[in-house]
Amino acid sequence: MGTLGKVFFWVVTAFVLFVIVAPLAWIYLTAFKSPNDIFTTEARKLIFFKPTMENFNRLFREFPFWDNFLNTVIISVSSTVVVMVISSLAAYSFARWNTGRGHLLFTTISTRMFPGVVAAIPFFVMYRNLGLLDTRFGLALLHIYFNTSFATFLLYGFFKEIPEELEQAAMVDGYSRVDIFRKIVLPLVRPGLAVTAVFCLVWSWNEFLFSFLFTRVAARPVTVLISSFWGSIEVQYGPMAAGAAIVILPTLVAAWFMQRYIIRGLTFGAVKG
Amino acid sequence: MAEVWLENVVKMYGKKMAVRGVSFTCREGEFFSILGPTGAGKTTILKMIAGIEPVTAGKIYFNDRVVNDLPPQERNVSMAFETYNLYPHMTVYENIAFPLRAPRWRLKLTPEEEKKRVEEIAAFLGIDRLLDRLPQNLSGGQKQRVSLARALVRRAEVYLLDEPIAHLDAKLKFSTQTLLKEFARRYGSTIIYVTHDFREALALSDRMVVLRRGKVEQEGTPEEIYYYPRTDFVGRLVGDPPMNLVDGELLSRNGVLFFCKGEDFMLRLEGTLAEKAESVAWEENGKRVVRLGIRPEHIRLSGEKPSENALRFPVYAVIHESESSVVTFRLKDNTFLYVRTVGFCKYGRGEEVWIDFDPQWVFFYGKTVEVAKEGSSEQ
Repeated sequence: MGTLGKVFFWVVTAFVLFVIVAPLAWIYLTAFKSPNDIFTTEARKLIFFKPTMENFNRLFREFPFWDNFLNTVIISVSSTVVVMVISSLAAYSFARWNTGRGHLLFTTISTRMFPGVVAAIPFFVMYRNLGLLDTRFGLALLHIYFNTSFATFLLYGFFKEIPEELEQAAMVDGYSRVDIFRKIVLPLVRPGLAVTAVFCLVWSWNEFLFSFLFTRVAARPVTVLISSFWGSIEVQYGPMAAGAAIVILPTLVAAWFMQRYIIRGLTFGAVKG
Repeated sequence: MAEVWLENVVKMYGKKMAVRGVSFTCREGEFFSILGPTGAGKTTILKMIAGIEPVTAGKIYFNDRVVNDLPPQERNVSMAFETYNLYPHMTVYENIAFPLRAPRWRLKLTPEEEKKRVEEIAAFLGIDRLLDRLPQNLSGGQKQRVSLARALVRRAEVYLLDEPIAHLDAKLKFSTQTLLKEFARRYGSTIIYVTHDFREALALSDRMVVLRRGKVEQEGTPEEIYYYPRTDFVGRLVGDPPMNLVDGELLSRNGVLFFCKGEDFMLRLEGTLAEKAESVAWEENGKRVVRLGIRPEHIRLSGEKPSENALRFPVYAVIHESESSVVTFRLKDNTFLYVRTVGFCKYGRGEEVWIDFDPQWVFFYGKTVEVAKEGSSEQ
């Protein structure tokens, strides 16, 4: 790489880094600022200010932050668990026995091809009639519905990677289908399962549209709470940034975790015996 | 131990017929080889016996019991795959112990017993130092031996070995052959062995079949296959250099039959040899043509004319091997005639030598394979 190439490399890297880091930095800086510091036009105050916990105190005292946070945790974790159970079995079936000769797999994936809003109105009517509006169960069910197709598609690829002969060898060695799934297939597909689970978890964690439409008070996830700071009279940047700063943390951890596993997942072929 | 009997077994992959009505019997305690070139259907047959691939038509028997519909777990067979198929997430030890731990066989070994069994077979195959490694840290030859160990660790009705030593280096190949023979003797095991290497098949088998495009070309002992190949295909597949195949015209002069290939290649045929030649000859451009087959070691060379039937040719090339030499002659249509002589060959290139065919080992065939024309032009 020539000098020019090196310069170009670092310019692009710096730009990408800025694009990714700047909003995060802004959120975390804002979270610790007093209202005056947030709205000041003094450039120096962008970074240099007297940190305060005021926004966090307000967030915890004046708003049901922890209740909503708990909703998010319950909905995303429970929906992900259910999705993983359904999808891993479905994807294994599609990958190994070509169940439905591709049509069923396509139908499953196609539920993700139209914009979610299209389904919102019929879902809403149905949910109202079933009494599922503003329930954690109802929202988790929606997340399951949307994530299952995605997870099945992703896992299908991972299961396809496992050579069929490996399972045949285990059959000859005297193991039943269930044992083979447990002892051979699952351990081998583990990186794929991890990646898929994290994807589903993050999607459900961040999901806003359906959460906004289908919940009011009891089942409201934290994403909807944060959006409510954007009121008609004023925008409460302080609590908003404080809330976002907390809510982002788990997804950052997930991203860090995924980075290792995605690389393993992508090079999965190399694991073959 | 079991006897394995295939009766008209057919395997279709979609519209493609991979196995076309194969029948053979592997007797109890027999070392039985399936020899054939790539794509002959060897592995498919093995997988059908294992129960991995369903049989399209025909029957497979274990001891007079039809097993067509039994899943692999119910057949009590053991198999070493050509592609190894080691479990990548398990160590070598766990791989070998895996069949012992299957609930299906109800072995219920204590950890000590299991360890003893695994270490015994690993030591037998010389992989006892690899037990803690993962398959990804093994060489091809090591993987192959682990796969073989996994197949041999359990006492099964039938052992199915698919090219189990193909990826070993020459020395290991030889010693592993010896070990396999010893294993078969010690346990009186029924072994079905698939290979594309005629040397392995001849060296190991009690009996064998030669497979060609999903059909049995010949079944017999290694001696029968080598010394009495039923078709030109078998003659070509088995032997190095392979059996000489010469296409020539049948001419009748004064009531005596001759096999001719040009003016300088005339063989007088008598008795059963003449009858055999007549029976398999075919018409080509108004001539009666037949294919003569003879193994390189059944041709004698000499400086003096040894018999009435001897032919005289110049030497084309001499290849010296350790205990013998292969002398090549070039015939009219650019096919080579190979002659194996014991010891160091004293003839040089271009020297005129007498060639004498041992009539006991001359065979006549119909034409079922193309004989490659080698070396199309001479400088």
